[in-house]
Amino acid sequence: MPEIRTLSEGVFEIRTDKKKLATKNLDPGKAVYGEKLIQIEGIEYRAWDPRRSKLGAMILKKFKIPIKSSSKVLYLGAASGTTVSHVSDLVSEGAVYAVEFSARSMRDLIGLAARRKNLYPIFADAGKPENYLHLVEPVDVIFQDIAQPNQAEIAARNAACFLKKDGYLLLSIKARSIDTTANPKQIFRAEVKKLEQEFEPKFEIQTARELAPYHEDHLGVLAKLKV
Amino acid sequence: MKFNTWFGTLDIGDNGKVLSVNLFSGSVRELASRSLSLRENRHSLPPAGFDLRAAALECGFVNSQEEYNSRLHAVTLEAVKLQLSASLTPDQRIIQAVEALDDLNEAANSLSERLSEWYGGYFPETGLAGEELALFVAKYGSRENVGPENPLYAKALESVGAKFEAEDEVLLREFAESLCSLYEQRRKTEAYIESSMLDRAPNLTTIAGAGLGARLISIAGSLEKLALFPSSTIQVIGANRALFKHLRARAPSPKHGVIYSHPLINTSPWWLRGKIARALAAKLSLAARLDYYSGRIDTALLEELEEKVQQIRASNPRPPQRRKEKNGGKGKCQK
Repeated sequence: MPEIRTLSEGVFEIRTDKKKLATKNLDPGKAVYGEKLIQIEGIEYRAWDPRRSKLGAMILKKFKIPIKSSSKVLYLGAASGTTVSHVSDLVSEGAVYAVEFSARSMRDLIGLAARRKNLYPIFADAGKPENYLHLVEPVDVIFQDIAQPNQAEIAARNAACFLKKDGYLLLSIKARSIDTTANPKQIFRAEVKKLEQEFEPKFEIQTARELAPYHEDHLGVLAKLKV
Repeated sequence: MKFNTWFGTLDIGDNGKVLSVNLFSGSVRELASRSLSLRENRHSLPPAGFDLRAAALECGFVNSQEEYNSRLHAVTLEAVKLQLSASLTPDQRIIQAVEALDDLNEAANSLSERLSEWYGGYFPETGLAGEELALFVAKYGSRENVGPENPLYAKALESVGAKFEAEDEVLLREFAESLCSLYEQRRKTEAYIESSMLDRAPNLTTIAGAGLGARLISIAGSLEKLALFPSSTIQVIGANRALFKHLRARAPSPKHGVIYSHPLINTSPWWLRGKIARALAAKLSLAARLDYYSGRIDTALLEELEEKVQQIRASNPRPPQRRKEKNGGKGKCQK
């Protein structure tokens, strides 16, 4: 019998022959990206591959993930829905607004959104939140995973429009998408500084850790609005 | 303050109370297309941090949280479907065709190599390759079927190749036939690219040729993006590895990327190629901008380019004398 342990609300660690991260499957019987489905005491869990998900990696890097079952999440850079599907599992009573700008990825994402009632797809540029101001309610968490050089600015713009006062920002910064030649450590320092000072609203960094070995040259950031 | 939301137009007083409301009605599809039209007009949007859900409940658009969720879910999904079905641009059709052409080339090459290996066992003296060989095998099969009207008749009589088993002959012939149809498909795809490019980007096609022009659009992602590139970028797109090697380490900068396939460059002597690539890239970028922003056909562009290339050729008739490789340059680095 596999052993199961709760890491944070909705996030489980399942121990069979080795440890696996997992969430409770909101859409039983269906795997999203070829992940393993695990049955324990009549409940189905989906294995969560941290190498394919920045959020999964953040959890294993001991980030305190502020997503609860009732949370409203604005997910910027939803891509084909690998991580989004797990966030949708986590917020079983809440909502995920999934913003993606690539038609190719959106094609995969709407298939997922059609099956998951708490997932609202938005085909728009995350750099222009005014394009979805009329759709998105205030949220508890903004999760951002977009490979754009101005990602700090995009995070601030979206936070200004949608983040509740006591909300959190979860951010994955990819050094290679900001500058391919510079030293990643310097880029991370500069980006964190931008989040803290450069834009309105300003952020207060709670945790900032590299996501190695799951993702090379990526920094995970958990931040709150500065009061 | 009056503004639009996905479910209606609201008028909100200073105290946050809803003063008046004009709810949108109609089907999910109507709500979705209205939601899309709202993003066009940037004014009269809800203020930052406005609680849409609470307002929708307060003004009676929905009666419960669950109803809000399910309406919003249906509307966002429908809106995305509408956007997706409108999102296949002419550029993307060209890009798909160029990539299909690459796939066809790759497949045709590897099948034709296989055919020549395979058929070589039965009739190695043909001296044919590629499409000619495929057509020959598809037509005759075994060399015994080659009649005296064919110039290969004599060779077929005294070939050292093995004799065909009936089974093998059928299999090989069909293999050759499918290769022939790949070549045919390649021609059709090329013609398609040619005509779509003349339609979409006539200036670019005049200067680059349909194939290269389409490839530039494909790498850039769209004609719009290509038009926004500086010409120095156009000069080296497709030479990513060389460019990043240059930026990271002390490698020389690349002179040309995919534009190397342009006849003005690949028929020129090596010491002119960099200069011509620069001139060509400059005109390519002008052409892309003309095509994207005005659509006017400017024949002067090609003439100017040819004149410029003449000039470059005239003023650099000989290879430069001093070459760094001889004493210093690369040699020095390796020590």
